[in-house]
Amino acid sequence: MKQPKLILCLLAIFSITIAFGQAKKPTLMVVPSDAWCIQNGYSMTFENQGSTEKIADYKRAFQENPEVLQVISQINGMMADRGFPLKNMESVIKTISSNSAEDNLRQSKESGSDISESPIDEFKKAAKADIIIQLTWTVNKTGPKKSINFNLQGLDSYTDKQIATATGTGAPSFSAETPVLLSEAVLSHMDNFTSSLQSHFDDMFENGREIIVRIQKWDDWDGDLETEYGGGDELGFVIEDWLQKNTVKGRFNTTDMTENMALFEQVRIPLYNESGNAIDARRYVRDLSKFLSSAPYNIPNKLVMKGLGRATIILGGK
Amino acid sequence: MKLSYLFTTIFFVLVANFSAQAQWKKEKTKEDTKIWRYDIECEGIAKQGAKLVKVWSYSKNPKHAISSAMRNAVHGIIFKGYAGGGQGCTSFQPLVKDPSVEEEHKEFFDAFFAEGGEYLKYVSAATDGSIAPGDRLKVSKREYKIAAVVTVMSDQLRKRLEKENIIKSLSSGF
Repeated sequence: MKQPKLILCLLAIFSITIAFGQAKKPTLMVVPSDAWCIQNGYSMTFENQGSTEKIADYKRAFQENPEVLQVISQINGMMADRGFPLKNMESVIKTISSNSAEDNLRQSKESGSDISESPIDEFKKAAKADIIIQLTWTVNKTGPKKSINFNLQGLDSYTDKQIATATGTGAPSFSAETPVLLSEAVLSHMDNFTSSLQSHFDDMFENGREIIVRIQKWDDWDGDLETEYGGGDELGFVIEDWLQKNTVKGRFNTTDMTENMALFEQVRIPLYNESGNAIDARRYVRDLSKFLSSAPYNIPNKLVMKGLGRATIILGGK
Repeated sequence: MKLSYLFTTIFFVLVANFSAQAQWKKEKTKEDTKIWRYDIECEGIAKQGAKLVKVWSYSKNPKHAISSAMRNAVHGIIFKGYAGGGQGCTSFQPLVKDPSVEEEHKEFFDAFFAEGGEYLKYVSAATDGSIAPGDRLKVSKREYKIAAVVTVMSDQLRKRLEKENIIKSLSSGF
């Protein structure tokens, strides 16, 4: 009787260890670039304070261009084979619109109340991923000869850094159709792309996840980042000292610091906290939020997150 | 009676000599392969999960150069990679980026690249075995440089090395 219990306990400990040993996995999504969308006529034009602006119309690109579907499907397949299935942008767009329609219709059975949604919630309903794989290709034609210029960029959604790339021009062909040339381009570039992505992940495991931390203040709060506390240090320096202590190898950059806001970039956070749980920007910055709300600072604050890699603390209240 | 003894002795000496010579040649080929003296280049875009490469192997005997091409091709994909070039080829980084890994996992690689070893599972000849005239070069008085075009199943090879924890998979750690 005792033996099964012991085995169960050991299994539980083993599964917990496995779960704790895994860092938060970033989501990836292939997105046709603005340049490709605009060049191929999948864009919307509108007037913005006197200037004409063009934005990509992804929905129409997916509905009307089979080549973009072919390329994305091939990339998705190859990434899934490497244990990294990607989010499919077309499905994400459809899910967002169906969720939106459902939310508009949903009412509480008891009070008849609608779903609570702020303008920010509405704004956040967009197709997003931690790493965007931006895809561009152009067909070069010289007489009957055709070749494909192919460019794949892996962009970190939070730090805006290009973390992986594969680009080049394929062999010219007199007879091959564009889809065949595109398929060849994907085949020849994916290894280089995954290789540079692997280097990025290796760096992340060694030096921590790179995130962005922003500090802002509510307009009605009477303090600011130049307010002095305790030993006479300004709040801005107090926050810098906290980051110095809590980042991997003390790595972070203070990009901007005024009395109202601070922007910290290239903040390297550990992948796991002291108890071995995987953490992201929100979990990491929560500790800073607690630090600021406790004595001697006692600053009430609101923590706002954006994906795995960006978090903002707004000082002065929730 | 004495004559028959003489013939038997000559016969055994000849047989021993032939087998020793064959063994020496075999060892020599192995030696050429052991120091991994070869050049590898991309030959075009292969099917998904594979690489089509041309391997230039060096040997005094053209026949041995061809037989070592397959072993060299697999070694090249694992440890050397290749530069891009014509036929839509892009550069390929080796599966193992740290050269010291070969020494760290010596036991595995020795068995893997042994005569008739596991490496044969991941490579196949892309042509019927015939060598194009331009692919057979006599580089010195007694040495040939011979090219063979082969297909290496790079994705399967990568998965095999991932299984042995020699390289990390893209999703490892997540």
